[in-house]
Amino acid sequence: MAEGRRTIIGAKKPKFCINDHRDLLVEIMKRLDARSLGVAACVCRLWCSITRNDALWEHLCFRHALSPPSGVRTVVVALGGYKRLYMVCVEPVLSRLGTVKIGLDGDSGGGGTDGDSEVVRRVWRRYGTQLSLSLFSVDYYERLGARPDDSSASSLTFLCEPVNLGRC
Amino acid sequence: MNRAYEETARNHQLAGGEGYSYEGRMWEEGRGDGGMDELLAVLGYKVKSSDMADVAQKIEQLEMAMGTVQDDGISHLSCDTIHYNPSDISRWLESMLSELNPSQTFDPNGSFSSIQSTVLGQQPQSSIVSSTVPSRIYEDDSEYDLRVIPGIAACKSADSTSDLQIEGSCKRMKRDSCQISTFPVNSAATAGSVPETTRPLVLVDSQEAGVRLVHALIACAKAVQNDNLQFADALLKQIGLLAVSQAGAMRKVATYFAEALARRIYDIYPQKSSIDPSLSDVLQMHFYETCPCLKFGHVTANQAIMEAFAGSPRVHVIDFSIKQGMQWPALVQALAWRPGGPPAFRLTGIGPRQPDNIDALQQVGWKLAQLADTIGVEFHYRGFVYESLADLEPSVLDIRPSAEETVAVNSVFELHRLLARPGSIEKVLSTVKALRPKIVTIIEQEANHNGPVFLDRFNEALHYYSTMFDSLEGCGLTQPNSQALAMSEVYLGRQICNVVACEGTERVERHETLTQWRARMDSSGFDPVHLGSNAFKQASMLLALFPGCDGYRVEENDGCLMLGWHSRPLISTSAWRLAAG
Repeated sequence: MAEGRRTIIGAKKPKFCINDHRDLLVEIMKRLDARSLGVAACVCRLWCSITRNDALWEHLCFRHALSPPSGVRTVVVALGGYKRLYMVCVEPVLSRLGTVKIGLDGDSGGGGTDGDSEVVRRVWRRYGTQLSLSLFSVDYYERLGARPDDSSASSLTFLCEPVNLGRC
Repeated sequence: MNRAYEETARNHQLAGGEGYSYEGRMWEEGRGDGGMDELLAVLGYKVKSSDMADVAQKIEQLEMAMGTVQDDGISHLSCDTIHYNPSDISRWLESMLSELNPSQTFDPNGSFSSIQSTVLGQQPQSSIVSSTVPSRIYEDDSEYDLRVIPGIAACKSADSTSDLQIEGSCKRMKRDSCQISTFPVNSAATAGSVPETTRPLVLVDSQEAGVRLVHALIACAKAVQNDNLQFADALLKQIGLLAVSQAGAMRKVATYFAEALARRIYDIYPQKSSIDPSLSDVLQMHFYETCPCLKFGHVTANQAIMEAFAGSPRVHVIDFSIKQGMQWPALVQALAWRPGGPPAFRLTGIGPRQPDNIDALQQVGWKLAQLADTIGVEFHYRGFVYESLADLEPSVLDIRPSAEETVAVNSVFELHRLLARPGSIEKVLSTVKALRPKIVTIIEQEANHNGPVFLDRFNEALHYYSTMFDSLEGCGLTQPNSQALAMSEVYLGRQICNVVACEGTERVERHETLTQWRARMDSSGFDPVHLGSNAFKQASMLLALFPGCDGYRVEENDGCLMLGWHSRPLISTSAWRLAAG
């Protein structure tokens, strides 16, 4: 049989299955947003294990920020991992910053919303890492002292807004 | 003044110049007014030119009284344009006023005329008095008649009274032309001391009770200052009724201030020793959660400390008020991945003695040690228990030479407590200098609650805490945890109680403004360190994260950062180093 040619009738067509190409899968998932990653985790066990890979979430956390210095990874991993960092600190911050203005250069009223959100994103790129890591460390610190069933006290509750999935 | 004369003269002529039966005023001797009195007498006015000011004042008061008591059954007066004997304005006014206030026995200042002069704003501190509802509505049996003359805007100077059209004012007693000084307490509040710069506003009905409430509070404070405790007590009942009619932040503020005033009147403030430090820690913890004030302070101070620590292999932070240690996790993690690797980090925490032998300081140290161990930062901790920072000796803190170790001193809401005892703050600042720190970060409330006059303090505190409660209300709208919000309010309420009800060494909430702290630090041998734009932007971004708290603003003030709600600053962060030379 000719291996290079494909005929419609009778020949075996090599099927392309994405699950055979784990590295491709990872590359694709690196470009997804958090919600899609969550959805992908429900597809099959392979996909679920891939989405649990912290490297994916690291990529997600710093997609819109300057890539952090090398020491950050050990810190984040020690404090709970990038997935937790994203869920607790980065995602609420990003979703909040998309809708608010920061009064950075005096009063930024008057400029168009596009200009404002651009300023916000620029500021986030520079300082977002520091801020979310600070919040993350506070979160870890509070969990140290809290009993397992004690979910009341948390200084990060101000970040917890009811998620509006319709916004995506 | 001349215009008024002409118009009254014209009016009299139009009215026909009928006779009068004047019994009130007597001509005094020695009229040196250039014959004006004679002219008035010829026209039929039995009033002296020097009395014109009084007449104008009375008209003004009448206008105020009519405006504020409109809904109490005297509303017909505000539209009624008929009056008797227009030539006898002075007596007519007195009769009108006595109709509104039948028993003029109330007199907190000792004489009716002195009320007039204060009302004119000649004593700016005491110009606002209560405009409460007449007692016949409440059937109050107190011996004090609370239908005082409503306070008018202190901005009306003596010059402007001459512009009152005396004949026109009789006709325009309409509600919407009434001008009353209001106390800016709502979220549109602007900064500014109240008695000097009150602004006239046109009232709408819904705010009237709020205005009265504020006036009642201030009148009560003034009565307390004048040691007129029975009257103050009577006012407290009014305040209670008015406060219930309000909603939201205004009600809470009024309730706390009323309680504090009650405590001051009856001298029932609990002794300091019975205040539980662990309870105050818990309350501050909840305040930390709900309000960005403390977080703002921590972020900006940490940034300044980080910048001071750049390049040092060993660092030492001395925290004058470690409480739960919420400031330090962020600093430890930032040190962990700073370029060049983390330093050896030493933390000294100072706090008050806890009851029940609970070693809160050690718990904080343990948690921070765990955090530091997790992220790979060398960490040492010592906790010191002190009742007062003034007892602290520098030798206790084991300071290493500056070449070896960089020292930072941090104080959050702690230094103002030292002002209660004379000499304490100087001792502490000299202790700080002996520690040879590279940077001293101070976070304090931005308000002057340490003036010598009680009424000033009361007004300042009312303004400040109203803004604070407004900001909490703004934040609280989206908070899932309403318990934390309630606890934050209790935290602020305790401060209010201390500012208003206590005196002497027990009054520890002696907040001072940044300007005052600057002067003190300058004279003690410290130079300011400018907080950079990094701190500013981080603080701004932090605020942007708080939902519903759009009212917060970060402002830069000559190198220091201030967090404010709309235009009123609430918290300030400043950084200092030892003066060169």
